[in-house]
Amino acid sequence: MVAKAAIDAVRAAVASVADPEYPDLNIQQLGILEDVVADRSSIRVDLVPTIMGCPALDVIEQDVVAAAQASGHDVTVRFCMSPPWTPDRITDDARKILAREYSVAIRPRNGVTSCPLCGSTALQPRSDVGPTACRSVEWCPNCRNPVEVVRSREMGQK
Amino acid sequence: MSPDETANELVLAFADDELCVGQNHSWWIAVGPFLEEDLAFTSIAQDELGHARALYSLLSDDLDHIAYGRPHQEYRSSHIAELLCHDWTSALVRHVLHDLAEEVRWAAMLDSTWVELATIATRAAAEEQFHVQHGLTLLRRLLSTPEGQLRLSSTLIDLAPKGREYFAGSDSGLVTSGILNTSLADQERTWMKRIDDLLAEFELNVDWSGEPPSQGRYGTRSRDFSTLHDEMVAVLQIDPLANW
Repeated sequence: MVAKAAIDAVRAAVASVADPEYPDLNIQQLGILEDVVADRSSIRVDLVPTIMGCPALDVIEQDVVAAAQASGHDVTVRFCMSPPWTPDRITDDARKILAREYSVAIRPRNGVTSCPLCGSTALQPRSDVGPTACRSVEWCPNCRNPVEVVRSREMGQK
Repeated sequence: MSPDETANELVLAFADDELCVGQNHSWWIAVGPFLEEDLAFTSIAQDELGHARALYSLLSDDLDHIAYGRPHQEYRSSHIAELLCHDWTSALVRHVLHDLAEEVRWAAMLDSTWVELATIATRAAAEEQFHVQHGLTLLRRLLSTPEGQLRLSSTLIDLAPKGREYFAGSDSGLVTSGILNTSLADQERTWMKRIDDLLAEFELNVDWSGEPPSQGRYGTRSRDFSTLHDEMVAVLQIDPLANW
C-alpha cells in the first residue's frame, strides 16, 4: 500500500515538470498531467498526450521520472488515450502566459476564438497546421498579426 | 488461426501500414510544394507514426523491435503503403487513398470488444478527420484545374485499385466476436464507393475489375520496402543504443 503522503509528494514534484515546447508552462497547467495513482506497491503517473504521435512524449516521460526521483520516489508513466486531451484542459493562468509570451490563442470547444493580442474575434484561417499538429495558424485583420491557435482534435471539432 | 491470432494479425497489418505511410510522408519534410503543405504533411506523418506506435503497443512491449527489428517477411504492410512516392502527384494521391481507407478501418473498431483497440480507434479516428479533410480539399482544388486533372487523373486511376490491399487479409471470426463491427469486404465496399463518388465529381472512373492485391499481407514485400526500411533503421544501425 502506497501512503497518501507519497502520492501527494509525487504529484507536487511532477506537476512542475516543464513542457518541452512551452518551457514557461508546466504539464499540469497544460492539462497533460491526468493523475498520480497507487498501482499495487508502486506509484504511476498518468499523462494525456496532446496528440497520439507527439514526439515530445519520451522527453516528458524522462522528466517526470526524474522529478519524482528527486522527490524520493520511483514512478512508472502511462500515456492514456482516454480521456482525450482537449484545449479545455489548459488552465486560465496558462492561457494568459500563452497569449502574452507566445501569441497563442486557445480555441474553446464549440466557441469563438479571439485574438490573444487585441481580442478581435474576426480571425481568418491561414494554415490548418502550424509548427505542430495541435496548432493552426490564423491571421488577425484587426491588429494585423499572425496568431497560432491551439485547437481540439476531437471528433466533430473544427 | 484462432480469433485472437487473426485479430493480432489485423492489428499488425494496420500498424505496419501506418508505419510505412508515416515514414514515407516524412520524406516530404522541408521539400513540400509550399510551406503550409510541408507543415501539414509533416504533421500527418507524425500522426500516422503515433497510430502505428499505439497499435504496436497492443502486441509488444518492445516497440523498437516490433517496428524496426523484424525480418522483412514478417511485416504485413500493403504494397501501396510501402510505395516510395517521391513525386508530389503520387504522394498526394496515396495520402487521400490511405486516409479514406484509414477512416473506414478505424470506424470498424470504434466499439470493438477489444477495449484497448476501441480506445485507440476512437482517438485516432478523431485525428483522421483532419487528414481526410486536408487531402480531399487539396485534391478537389487541384482536380478542378486542367493542369491538375492532367497530372492527377492517371495516377488516381492507377493507384486506386492497389488501395484495395488495405482491406486484404483474414477477418475470420472477428465480426462474430465483436472485434470488428464490419467485415473487411464491407469496409472495402464502403471505401470503393467513396473513391467512386469522389472521382465521379470530375468525370473519372476507376477500373476495379482486376484481382485485388494481397501479397503484402502474406509476407511478400514490394520492391520499395527495403529502401524504406533502410531509411527507418539508418540511425539505429549506426548506433543501436541511440535515444532521442
